[in-house]
Amino acid sequence: MTKKIVLVLAVMSCLARGGTALAQAPAPEPAAAAPAAAAQAAPAALPITDADLKAAVKPTDRANGDPDGALTGTANDIAIADAKAGLTVADVLNQIGANRIGVNFTWTLLCGFLIMFMQAGFAVVEAGLCRAKNANHTMMMNFMVYGVGMLAYFLIGFPLQMGGAGAIANLGGTPVLNSEFVVHLFGKDIGLFGNTGYLLMHRGTYDVAVMVIFLFQMVFMDTTTTIVTGTLCERWKYAAFMVSTMFLGAFTYPIFANWAWGGGWLAMLGSNFGLGHGYADFAGSGVVHSVGGITALACALIVGPRIGKFTRDGKPNPIPGHDIMWVLCGCFILAFGWFGFNPGSTLAMSGNGGLRAASVAVNTMLAGMTGSFGGILYMWIRYGKPDASMSGNAFLAGLVAITAPSGFVNPVASAVIGLVAGVLVCVSCEFVERVLKVDDPVGAISVHGTNGIWGVLATGLFADGKSNYGGSWNGVAGNVTGLFYGDVGQFVAQLMGVATLVGFVFVLSFVFNLFVDWFVGQRVSAKSELQGLDLPEMGALAYPDFVLKPESELTTA
Amino acid sequence: MTFVGLAVTFLGFVIAFSSLGITDSTGGRLGMVLAGIVVSLIGIMGVLTPAYQKTWIFKK
Repeated sequence: MTKKIVLVLAVMSCLARGGTALAQAPAPEPAAAAPAAAAQAAPAALPITDADLKAAVKPTDRANGDPDGALTGTANDIAIADAKAGLTVADVLNQIGANRIGVNFTWTLLCGFLIMFMQAGFAVVEAGLCRAKNANHTMMMNFMVYGVGMLAYFLIGFPLQMGGAGAIANLGGTPVLNSEFVVHLFGKDIGLFGNTGYLLMHRGTYDVAVMVIFLFQMVFMDTTTTIVTGTLCERWKYAAFMVSTMFLGAFTYPIFANWAWGGGWLAMLGSNFGLGHGYADFAGSGVVHSVGGITALACALIVGPRIGKFTRDGKPNPIPGHDIMWVLCGCFILAFGWFGFNPGSTLAMSGNGGLRAASVAVNTMLAGMTGSFGGILYMWIRYGKPDASMSGNAFLAGLVAITAPSGFVNPVASAVIGLVAGVLVCVSCEFVERVLKVDDPVGAISVHGTNGIWGVLATGLFADGKSNYGGSWNGVAGNVTGLFYGDVGQFVAQLMGVATLVGFVFVLSFVFNLFVDWFVGQRVSAKSELQGLDLPEMGALAYPDFVLKPESELTTA
Repeated sequence: MTFVGLAVTFLGFVIAFSSLGITDSTGGRLGMVLAGIVVSLIGIMGVLTPAYQKTWIFKK
């Protein structure tokens, strides 16, 4: 067998070399150049005049159609401001600017649409990891989290997050987002929250560029809110879910996101306190995933574990999900949507580093891949089987971890970050379940919370200073550079973000959900939980034609 | 114990945040932020979680 493999490899090597030789055949010698006349001075540059432009506008004959496209898209299509004056230099320059912003709008909006589709991915992953008797309830939480979160964000969240974000050059400006509430502390202005943009009508925010940034930021927020539903499925009251989600979308998420992305104090750690470029989170390992994971942990402590998850002495019992096919299919849907999540965060394909979206996309892909390897190898070595659900979670963990550093690191670092994430999620799941004894049916605390924090820290370690998004980041000139490339301050800024997540965001989420528990009640009754939430909470089974097995018969190998 | 746990957790954030005003040294800030994170984690895992475990269904 070994000899056959060696022979095949040898033949393939020869073919490859031969193919390469053919592909790289030396080009024929160029024809000898015609004798050059004495070098003539290049003519002086002539300014383009309006007359030149008018000459470029020629009628085209399309009476017989335009099968090869040569006649479509010409100077005739440039918008003219004054029909009497005809085409001018100003018209051409305005068209160039409009094209740039149009490209960036298209890119950002399409990426936002991809991220929105991730809701479907989260929905099927969570539903697949829960028991069949709860599938309707779990799907409905993921279905309505889109609307509930969006409503909260439209009413309150967006103004708090982006009201003071300032002009976003890649989208044509957004100068109306100029109201940030600040306090003066330590001799600096500390931004706390924005105050413009209520109902997208307030103070000039009925603006096309604001619409783009609203849509893009809203789908990020919805990703955060959906994370919590996975941890609390199978015992969360539907009414409590809606109230809790409203608060997360209206306050918790937007406040931290303002601090990181909206001109708040975390982003200004660089310009105010000399800590690198301030807290750098390219697409939201911290802002989106850690906020979701940490909120999930806070709620899980309040709600408690499912009946039967732990024995009286705290030993965990496995409760397998009912459809692993949907889980893994959902992971692919999420990975597809992540091509909008990370690359879309350039908010541009034209100018200011927009083309680096290509690098961001590859970094994202690599981290997901190595994440899955990290998880599958860990489980295979430790437990003797390549566990499907943990492989899927490890894949997602790699994607979560690369989200923050994706715009700042190289492909090798991305692969390393993903690999570490894949192992880390497995270790974290074991810790959360066996040490903390917190019940997390889908592993969201570990996938999003733990690996979100890892992504934030990885940015502060691996950012290589090669990215360039307009020559500065968070108002600090130069490129984001991490500890391994010489900037300790950047790593400290990232740590400050982590301290804010575990010390502030957790407390805010915990306190609010305590109130929800006191006034609404977070958890269903034991009778409802044992029956399955589909009927008592939703009034209908997800699988009415199926006879569900009693749980005593469900065992794992 | 809930409020004690929340207070300890928040204290960790206060320690980290106050490093910005207490010292200009990057090393000093690094130390204080790390200390703050540890204090917050003690609040979550050392105080709050054990307090809530006592109320969970498998303990009843």
